[in-house]
Amino acid sequence: MKAAVLGANGFVGGRMVEKFHLEKTVEVRPVVRTYSGLARLARFDNLDWRLADARDCAALAKAIEGCDVVVNSIQGEPRVILETAVQSYKAAQAAGVRRLVFISSAAVNGLAPAPGTDEAAPIRTDSPFPYSNAKARAEGELSRLRRGGSVELVILRPSIIYGPRSPRWTAGVAGELLDGTACLLDGGRGICNTVYVDNLIEAVELSFAGAKSDGQVFFVSDREEVTWADLYRPIAEALGVDMTAIPGPTGVTPQPRPALKHALKQFHNSTRLQSILPFFPLRLKRVLRAAMATPVKWQVPNPWLQPEAGRPVLTEEMAGLERCKYKLPIRKAEDLLGYRPSVSFEEGCRRAVAWLRFAGYRAL
Amino acid sequence: MTPIRIGLAGCGAISETYYAPALRELERTGEVQVVALMDPSPERTALFKDGFPGASFLGGLAGMSKARPDLVIVASPPRFHAEQTVALLKAGIPVLCEKPMANTVAEAEEMAAAARDSGKALAIGLFRRFFPALRAMREIIARGSLGPVRSFSIAEGGVFGWPAQSASFFQKASSKGGVLLDAGVHALDIVQWWFGEPSELAYADDAMGGLEANCRVEMGYGAFSGQVQLSRDTQLANRYVVQCEKAWMAWNPLETNRFELQFEGTGQALAVMTHPSPPDKYRTRLKTPDADFYGCFINQLRNARAAVLGEEEVFIPAEEGIKSLRLIERCYGERKFLEMPWLSERENRQAAALAGGDL
Repeated sequence: MKAAVLGANGFVGGRMVEKFHLEKTVEVRPVVRTYSGLARLARFDNLDWRLADARDCAALAKAIEGCDVVVNSIQGEPRVILETAVQSYKAAQAAGVRRLVFISSAAVNGLAPAPGTDEAAPIRTDSPFPYSNAKARAEGELSRLRRGGSVELVILRPSIIYGPRSPRWTAGVAGELLDGTACLLDGGRGICNTVYVDNLIEAVELSFAGAKSDGQVFFVSDREEVTWADLYRPIAEALGVDMTAIPGPTGVTPQPRPALKHALKQFHNSTRLQSILPFFPLRLKRVLRAAMATPVKWQVPNPWLQPEAGRPVLTEEMAGLERCKYKLPIRKAEDLLGYRPSVSFEEGCRRAVAWLRFAGYRAL
Repeated sequence: MTPIRIGLAGCGAISETYYAPALRELERTGEVQVVALMDPSPERTALFKDGFPGASFLGGLAGMSKARPDLVIVASPPRFHAEQTVALLKAGIPVLCEKPMANTVAEAEEMAAAARDSGKALAIGLFRRFFPALRAMREIIARGSLGPVRSFSIAEGGVFGWPAQSASFFQKASSKGGVLLDAGVHALDIVQWWFGEPSELAYADDAMGGLEANCRVEMGYGAFSGQVQLSRDTQLANRYVVQCEKAWMAWNPLETNRFELQFEGTGQALAVMTHPSPPDKYRTRLKTPDADFYGCFINQLRNARAAVLGEEEVFIPAEEGIKSLRLIERCYGERKFLEMPWLSERENRQAAALAGGDL
């Protein structure tokens, strides 16, 4: 089995290359966009790496030629997620690749999915979170392409991927704990749909074959039901941070909505408005344009305001995640992929902490 | 001011990012005139044509002498440093050679010998030594102002972000080392500049047949010891900490004119901004701090220019450049495999086999 991994220098893609290459279960071909992306891969002398921008269908098709499957584990801006998803399918089609495995996100079902949610539940493309919307749109585009194409498609929806080199859920949590910005909603009692990175990679490997999984979407998570406090605790203990001292948030920062200016511009460019604009007096239009162009005058900051310590706030996204009361089911992945997460949550946390030590984090 | 004539060999990322803008600034001030740029790739030299319209653009080093440069900056990939530097020195042309000085100590020694034989200047681009903060810390250590050194800890690295223009950084055929040779040459240069040659050394890295992305060096100096951790794939603390008897000092790369200090038993840490010494400490307040990153880079070029004109000694001569390379070779000679505790048993066995069986 020869698998091309797109995003091979990232957290998930990098570990996938490392694991496939060392376990020799899959002949892996890492694909990176720039030479800089080779830094970690260069630890191996004999990797069959390729350089290609996954937004460039022709270049990507050439890079993945001869592979049986392609795994898209590209992270990035929402625009990049969507564009590379579409181009990776088209490139796989052009290169005669049999199957594409797309790593999406459980966030397409909302940050705190309602109890009973399964893979058949509708997904949202209009949430306040551009990342989730991009993954949802990418899933939609890929499904559409699958209907008209011959490349088989499997979509995996992990949620909180943690483990060695996880920038957000391992290093990020450690960073928050060390700099005192960590906070947990409701004492961290919300359900955290974790998946240890190696478990996700096992699911990826299981997705490479099997007629039943073609065209299917799967939630992928650890077997255990764990809370946010469970995710933070082993890292806090390793760093010598008292879990009981982690405060609750004093507020929630709203997710920035698309700017008002952007909405006004869209309204301005709409066909309906453009059709009636000629009937407005020129002078009125000039006055309105000048008013819109006038820079907002900010108030001079009050120099007497003192910085407030120890009052952490949660982002709307984190608050949404921590409000989760539902463990996403993995039954479908178990039934159709034969998914059996081999790394327990406890062991995953142990390895994550071991990596933190490797990366130079010290106990206080 | 008479401009000296400069040639630039190698038009990769380092030249595009640092040398070209620095040389344009020195052209503006009338200190240099760029007369030739060389790179085997016409696409690369084409990028520099707007910035240096009066220069010749060459595909190889052979035509460099015809441009009659007073100094050539060798900024090509490290595997070409020795060959190009020796050829230029033998042709009577002084050289500023980018770091690492060479791929091996043997090559570096050949370069030093060529400089001695030709009597021409050879400066090594270990430009962090131009950072006033690092100079100040060195003086404090050397004078024992904070008491004897007790230990040091250096951690530097993050996800590799340098805009490499080729795979040469990452291939064993073209590079003799990974993060230790690349970023480590700076860190180990500072270590040996501050503390000298360690009496004991232990080294481990994560290369599995290729080039290391992570490494650790433990160094012993008799009375104290220290460690250096470097990475190309993990965000490290990026901090140089020296613990002395009376205080600790810390430097954050790449703050050229600032370091941190806290005296033992005191409640406050101090952020120290370096300035030129005031003419009268009783009357003169410190105003403009020492050079920033760009200023230090330009100061390196100014030192090379002054050396060519016979006005200054080369601040970092070949003999200094060799020291960190010696330390690096010593590290590779002591190499052990750096255990990665997240690998499964099966992965570990294969990793150890690829690394040379030492786990």
